[in-house]
Amino acid sequence: MFNKEKFKQNAPAIPVLIWVGFLVGLPLVFVIILSFLTRDDLGNVVIKFTLSNYKKIFDPTYLKVFFNSFLLATLTGLITLIIGYPVAYFTANLSPKKRSLSIGLIMLPFWISSLLRTYGWIILLGNTGIINNILTKLNIIQSPFNMMYKFSTTLIGTAYMLIPFMIIAIYNSVDKLDKSLLEASYDLGASKRQTFLNITLPLTLPGIAGGFTLVFIPSLGLFFISDLLGGGMTLFLGNVINSQVTKGRNKPLAAAFSIGMIILVLIILYLYGKLTKDKKGEGLF
Amino acid sequence: MNKTSNRFRTFYLSLFFVILYIPVLGVVLYSFNKSPSTASWTGFTLDWYRDLFNDKVIIESFKISIKVALLTSILSAILGTTTAIISTYVTSKMENVIRGVMILPLLVPEVALGVSLLLFFSTLNLPFGILTLVLSHSLFCMPYVYLMVLLRLKEIDISIIESAKDLGATRWQVIKTILLPLVTPSIITSSLLALAMSLDDVVISTYMSGPTSTTLPVHIFSMMRVGVTPKINALSTLILVGTFFIVGLSQLLNKKSNQ
Amino acid sequence: MNKPLLSLIDINKYFDNFQVLKNVSLDIKDGEFLTLLGPSGCGKTTILRCIAGLETVDSGDILLNGKSVVYLPANKRNVNTVFQNYALFPHLNMYDNIAYGPRIKKSMTEDEIKVRVAEVLHLVQMSGYEDRMSSQLSGGQMQRIAIARALINEPDILLLDEPLGALDLKLRKHMQRELALLQKQTKTTFVYVTHDQEEAVNISDRIAVMNKGVIQQIGTPREVYNHPVNLFVASFIGDRNIKEVEILENNNNYHKVKLGNNTVTIRCSRTAECKSKPGDKALLAIHMDKMKIDCNEMPNSIKGKVVSVHYAGSQTRTELDVNGQSLTAIEYQNEDCEYKIGDKVYITWEESGAILLPMEDGFEESGV
Repeated sequence: MFNKEKFKQNAPAIPVLIWVGFLVGLPLVFVIILSFLTRDDLGNVVIKFTLSNYKKIFDPTYLKVFFNSFLLATLTGLITLIIGYPVAYFTANLSPKKRSLSIGLIMLPFWISSLLRTYGWIILLGNTGIINNILTKLNIIQSPFNMMYKFSTTLIGTAYMLIPFMIIAIYNSVDKLDKSLLEASYDLGASKRQTFLNITLPLTLPGIAGGFTLVFIPSLGLFFISDLLGGGMTLFLGNVINSQVTKGRNKPLAAAFSIGMIILVLIILYLYGKLTKDKKGEGLF
Repeated sequence: MNKTSNRFRTFYLSLFFVILYIPVLGVVLYSFNKSPSTASWTGFTLDWYRDLFNDKVIIESFKISIKVALLTSILSAILGTTTAIISTYVTSKMENVIRGVMILPLLVPEVALGVSLLLFFSTLNLPFGILTLVLSHSLFCMPYVYLMVLLRLKEIDISIIESAKDLGATRWQVIKTILLPLVTPSIITSSLLALAMSLDDVVISTYMSGPTSTTLPVHIFSMMRVGVTPKINALSTLILVGTFFIVGLSQLLNKKSNQ
Repeated sequence: MNKPLLSLIDINKYFDNFQVLKNVSLDIKDGEFLTLLGPSGCGKTTILRCIAGLETVDSGDILLNGKSVVYLPANKRNVNTVFQNYALFPHLNMYDNIAYGPRIKKSMTEDEIKVRVAEVLHLVQMSGYEDRMSSQLSGGQMQRIAIARALINEPDILLLDEPLGALDLKLRKHMQRELALLQKQTKTTFVYVTHDQEEAVNISDRIAVMNKGVIQQIGTPREVYNHPVNLFVASFIGDRNIKEVEILENNNNYHKVKLGNNTVTIRCSRTAECKSKPGDKALLAIHMDKMKIDCNEMPNSIKGKVVSVHYAGSQTRTELDVNGQSLTAIEYQNEDCEYKIGDKVYITWEESGAILLPMEDGFEESGV
């Protein structure tokens, strides 16, 4: 039913929707269409319907790529949660002055170039890097210990890059927690441990879910970290899409893989919505 | 009991922050190393910085990055603020739609967003360069401006707006004389964040750069792929100093406008 | 009679499906201090917001100076509001706050504004505060600025929404006197909203008592205090004992009524009540502070037992039991009779302190 009053009230929103729709909606529609098309030997797109791009996803080589990316994103979420939860929890319990210092230190990396932060790990972990230097000087090892170009190197770099998102998400939910609930729990005879498990943890679950989502999504696509730290030894979705577009010149395949990546995102968003009943994503940002 | 748990807390946080900043400090430290390798420390030098200023490609891509970042932050500030203000006037259903549309670019992984924009713009025959860079960067910067301004708008006491209306202000006058001045600190902070994010972006810029318009991060990325050289350390250090200058500036501006 | 300055005609207002105003009609005279009094949620603030134009009405009309303003938005109506939380603009100093209205409407030059700001600041005794920000002022000071900011526009009506609600008791009493004085000085019509019956009685020319979206009674403070028209007004304004009674006799405006096992004589003050017939049920309302406790039997007195004595500074609150019914007396001093818990005493009241009200459905004797 058309409501003139409401339309008049909502009219100013139309340009906004068109603008973002034009820059996000249309390109995504484009990618979907492209993912069903074919390419010729020169890499030009041919308008001929095919499902072969999607069939390729189930090719063992590419299935492994999807699995690697999923594993990387999940492990990144778990590692940042395990390391980040205490940081967020302790920070929320600091005195106001120390708390704002701690928050400042957590947020500062957002402003530091992500390339620099990735490069820092090369300096640290490389065969001629700082850690190997120190260990050799101290005669703990004779020859450099190889730490680069592994799945775990990429994992470290990705977790390091994204951990501030996790901490801030958890911190916000810990901070919102009504302190009198904890006091009530102690008052009723619960120990610190019991209170944490029965009160704090369940009530900060939305923060954990939000943090996990915020870490999971970008970790699927940060191809420069796996490029620099993983050295292409393990293939991830981001690298495959990137190389298909820039080198392989198979745009339809890259499009299909992008859709696959977005489906992974939709799954995690669906789980997030189920778990927290936050349909509007208000807890995410 | 309490003392030990306090001590553990301090220890844990300190350890965390040390690990968080060691990679950054490592990069800064080795930008002053005479030896081109990180294998040994052979003495202090500023040679690598001197090298930078003689590198025409770096200077060129830096100029492009700055241009793109400035245009992006201005565009994001205007669009994000406008959207935030509009969304407080529409029905709550429409407000949710706007919110969903605005955070959409943040929910699509950057590679997918970059690739889709690449395919889209090339079909439209848009020339790749500053225009495509600014359009794509504003896409992931604008939501932050929108979210931060909206947060501030929601904090404004409704009676302040009503009282302006009561004193004779039209809708437009309310926006101009009450809302905009009150959200200015948020606009400043968020557009500086937009500036920093645009300056830092690698993934989307990889697809959006034109043949003659490579941004600095894209160039640095290609340098890093080749190998470790203290020149990268020096460049990264300079960028770090630059961003800290921006952060400091935003803090200062906020403090001033809060007074 | 003069035409009213503002007329509300049959106003109805719904929030979702809940009716907050039911057929509200009200005339406001030029230059008066009218108070809308009622418990929270009774619709008094909604009336104020409808007059201001901050809320639209679902049906009915609002006439200002004889002209309908019901479709005019807030910024086109020459009425101004003082908000409960002051609503001073946090980014402007006090001078710019006060100058906001004239500047927005371009109704004065900057020179005129300067003169007028000084005038209104003087009026609210805040001269010298031009450069302060709202964060540097106390609640009472912000209140004064909010009033000045409204008065500079010379509104037809100044609307005040519980303006003293956030102030402490002492400052509130002081500001009540000042507001009343300010109203007389400026000859501006004030429409004032409060839930505090004492405040309403102290400062108003007229009071409109509201409950559940309906105006129950309009009258001078004396009228509503001494002659409430129904149970709600009687229980909301003043402390009263309210008891169900049966009319025994109706003689020349004097009623003999049966209260428990006692028969007492009440003078009826309102024509409606004077018509009740023997056998009718009615409500007897007696001001607690017009009751007197004696040790000896007096004319027209009833016998009771002291249940509790609560001494509170200048007044003593005594709970009494009369044949199983409880009555409360508030006495300021009693030198004739010293009593303690359990004593048998005789209770009388001033004739003007007792009235009869129509019986209402669902009346239950509560201890309140």
